[in-house]
Amino acid sequence: MIVDSKDRNGPPSLGDIGWVFTRFANFTLGGGSATTAVLHHELLEKRRWLTDDRFVLCFALGRLTPGTNLLAFCTGAGWLLRGMPGAIIALFAASIPCTIMVTVLTALFSHWRDNHLAQPAIHGAIAAAVAVTVKTCWTIAKPHFRGPERLRAVFVGAAAFLLYVFAAIPAIDVLLLAAAAGAFWPMTSSR
Amino acid sequence: MNIFLLYLLLLKGTITAFAGLASLPVIQDTLVFQHHVLTDKQLNEAIVITRSTPGPVGLYVVSVGYFVAGLPGAAAGWLAMITPALLIIPLVHFAGRKIEHPRVKNVLQTVVIASSGLLLAAAIPLAREALTDTVTVGIAVVGLILLLLTELDTLWIILGASAISLSASAAGLLNRIVT
Repeated sequence: MIVDSKDRNGPPSLGDIGWVFTRFANFTLGGGSATTAVLHHELLEKRRWLTDDRFVLCFALGRLTPGTNLLAFCTGAGWLLRGMPGAIIALFAASIPCTIMVTVLTALFSHWRDNHLAQPAIHGAIAAAVAVTVKTCWTIAKPHFRGPERLRAVFVGAAAFLLYVFAAIPAIDVLLLAAAAGAFWPMTSSR
Repeated sequence: MNIFLLYLLLLKGTITAFAGLASLPVIQDTLVFQHHVLTDKQLNEAIVITRSTPGPVGLYVVSVGYFVAGLPGAAAGWLAMITPALLIIPLVHFAGRKIEHPRVKNVLQTVVIASSGLLLAAAIPLAREALTDTVTVGIAVVGLILLLLTELDTLWIILGASAISLSASAAGLLNRIVT
């Protein structure tokens, strides 16, 4: 694929790419979806760096790339804008500032853990983290919970749960089994 | 733990997951159950820390790395988090529309669904560690209901949970009901 030449204002500088991804991929509350929405506004509507087709391609492939979808999206967008240097700058800009924030907070957290005042607050926050984890299960499964795919979602999700909890099969092996099952699963007409 | 080994173990989790927290079962399995260098409590704390800051959910591996090996561990976590993102370059370059092939989509979707089942399984030991009294069980249940039914950001849920737990402790409720 050719580096984006259809952008209306010419390719941005690496510094501009670094600034935009630093500003909008690290400091937007609300997780990946909210950040993607903000980047859509910046990259398409405000700065006109990418066409809608290329943004959608990047977004779709970002969802299909292992790891953190948002970082894959930023890397893909950077690559479309300025090739490999653009991809690296976008990836670093989107990940280093928030990594520093999390590292500092983790260090402070380790320090506060033994503080008598902070302990109950941390205890409550950790209880909420369980709710966040369970809710994430639904967030991941929900897009596959419709039409003829619903049966597959129930079967595969339940099988993975049971194999991991009751058969003590390691998580990585369960995922490999799922991939093998997916290769032979009958394809539905909706896709 | 050797930093390179930590990077590889974290990478095993991130490269086999298709969403931020979906890597949690593999990381829990590897670092908590097999290598014993992390506890379920620390895993829960990593989620709390990440959800209390802006940025992607997958950042929790940075916290996990820090808990295991300090600053070098955090760097290993960062590398494990960003490495899979580079895979999008050949995908954009070569695959393009071919990624829409039904067989390829079938495989990816099945892995994604399985990862949600695994994440639910991983929540069991996390809950066992975190939900130790009526207040924390109540926080988790109400928090889950709010997350499922409202658009409330997780940051507010976590801050609210902290405030409730702190108030309960101040009122002496935690002392009376802790099991």
